[in-house]
Amino acid sequence: MAAVAVHQFAQCITCHAWSPDHSMVALCPNNNEVHIYRLVNDKWEKVHVLQKHDQIVSGIDWSGKSNRIVSVSHDRNSYVWNREGPEWVPTLVILRLNRAALCVQWSPKENKFAVGSGAKTVCVCYYEQENNWWVSKVIRKKHDSSVTSVAWHPNNILLATTSTDGKCRVFSTFIKGVDTRESKTGSSSDPKFGEQIVQLDLSSSWTFGVKWSPSGNTLAYVGHNSMIYFVDDIGPSPLAQNVAFRNLPLRDVQFFSEKMVIGVGFDCNPMIFAADKSGLWSFIRFLGERKESLSGPKSGSQFSEAFGKLYGQAKHGLSNDTVEPSKIQGAVHDNCINCIALLNKKGSETKRFSTSGMDGKVVIWDLGNQQDLKEYL
Amino acid sequence: MAEAKKSMGFDNVEDILTKIENKSLKIESLIKQYKFIEAIKTALEGYPPQDERCKHLQSANWIGVHKALMAIKDVEGMLRSLDPQYYDILMKYAYRGLSSGNRTTCDQCLKIHEKLTEKAGFGCILRSLVDTVNTV
Repeated sequence: MAAVAVHQFAQCITCHAWSPDHSMVALCPNNNEVHIYRLVNDKWEKVHVLQKHDQIVSGIDWSGKSNRIVSVSHDRNSYVWNREGPEWVPTLVILRLNRAALCVQWSPKENKFAVGSGAKTVCVCYYEQENNWWVSKVIRKKHDSSVTSVAWHPNNILLATTSTDGKCRVFSTFIKGVDTRESKTGSSSDPKFGEQIVQLDLSSSWTFGVKWSPSGNTLAYVGHNSMIYFVDDIGPSPLAQNVAFRNLPLRDVQFFSEKMVIGVGFDCNPMIFAADKSGLWSFIRFLGERKESLSGPKSGSQFSEAFGKLYGQAKHGLSNDTVEPSKIQGAVHDNCINCIALLNKKGSETKRFSTSGMDGKVVIWDLGNQQDLKEYL
Repeated sequence: MAEAKKSMGFDNVEDILTKIENKSLKIESLIKQYKFIEAIKTALEGYPPQDERCKHLQSANWIGVHKALMAIKDVEGMLRSLDPQYYDILMKYAYRGLSSGNRTTCDQCLKIHEKLTEKAGFGCILRSLVDTVNTV
């Protein structure tokens, strides 16, 4: 079994993030608070409740080295929480948004964080030492709709965003005084803040969940049309691969190596995508077990009763009693998974990750004993 | 300048209409020869023009595709020999058929929808619903 631990934290979880040593998890139980739980003797105890936001907290990120939590909410604010003794002390970051903040991520060097918003803008915030506060610089006028997801390139300067206008864009977020210009790429790269490097128009539907591969060479994002897009060579002529799959759309993705991506979404089961030797991406399998229901039509999914009624229209005598309502068989999550987070211990080979969803569960998965995936890791 | 553009547009429409009529004739002849699968493949090739003003071209295209769809007796067999790249567009035509309200069309399209969903999954349905760029 790939799922090693399942815990029900709330009725519904919006997002979650792990502490640097993975002993604590910060999550939003679909309200205006951030709850921090610690694993004590195999039991999860609520150790802190961060209450500052007025509306639902839509994004949480916990920086690995500096141990700071950033939270953003539909109330258009964001707070950076610093650990001072036993307490978490919030610092308000003024984003100057007139719509909800939807997603947030710390940059790899943790000196900046990016916030995607419903105001069709992305705010990049950095700390100004002299004034002891966080300043926000806004990327405007490029997005046509809400920014659903942001992802930092390992070089701490490029930022990829996805939006409900169907496009994925890559921007430069070079800030003088915060970022150091690489001398070798100084002339070729255009490090102006807010400069759009590339716009990918591959999907005609909402896009979510963008992530960079560990080296930053490949970009992956999902569309609401049950497709996942892999893009190499970000620049004037990117190489894109559109992979259509037969299941319900995904909401978030995560790279596990240069050649393996796991996507999570409405099928309540992590989906594994991998690239073969020639670089062609395809769907490998589901991670969790899926048992087909013994009775009922061949689709064996929770939709079988509904479909039975639909197709029964044409076949006049079909009795609906023969079709049993079946739950999603074998899946660990009961409802849509909307967040996936890496859980790698430093120096360890095994890949662990966690997922949280609208069913209020956080599930920890381990790829260690998945033999067929070892070649991709 | 505007007039030249207009006349070019008009010619283009004529061209497309001719192409659609030829496609329709080809489908009919294939059906008469009992080559149902060939007929479907011809029908599913290419999208009609997406222009707002050329809705009649989409309707003309639909007539030919409809003939091919109604001629299929063995839906499962047809799907077995169909290239997966045509699944999404077939689903779009199935929905168009379902929206017609005509009893026999709906029966056939429902059958196609059922078998196609088994074969191509929910992703196919989603792609046919979400795609506003290529419509039928």
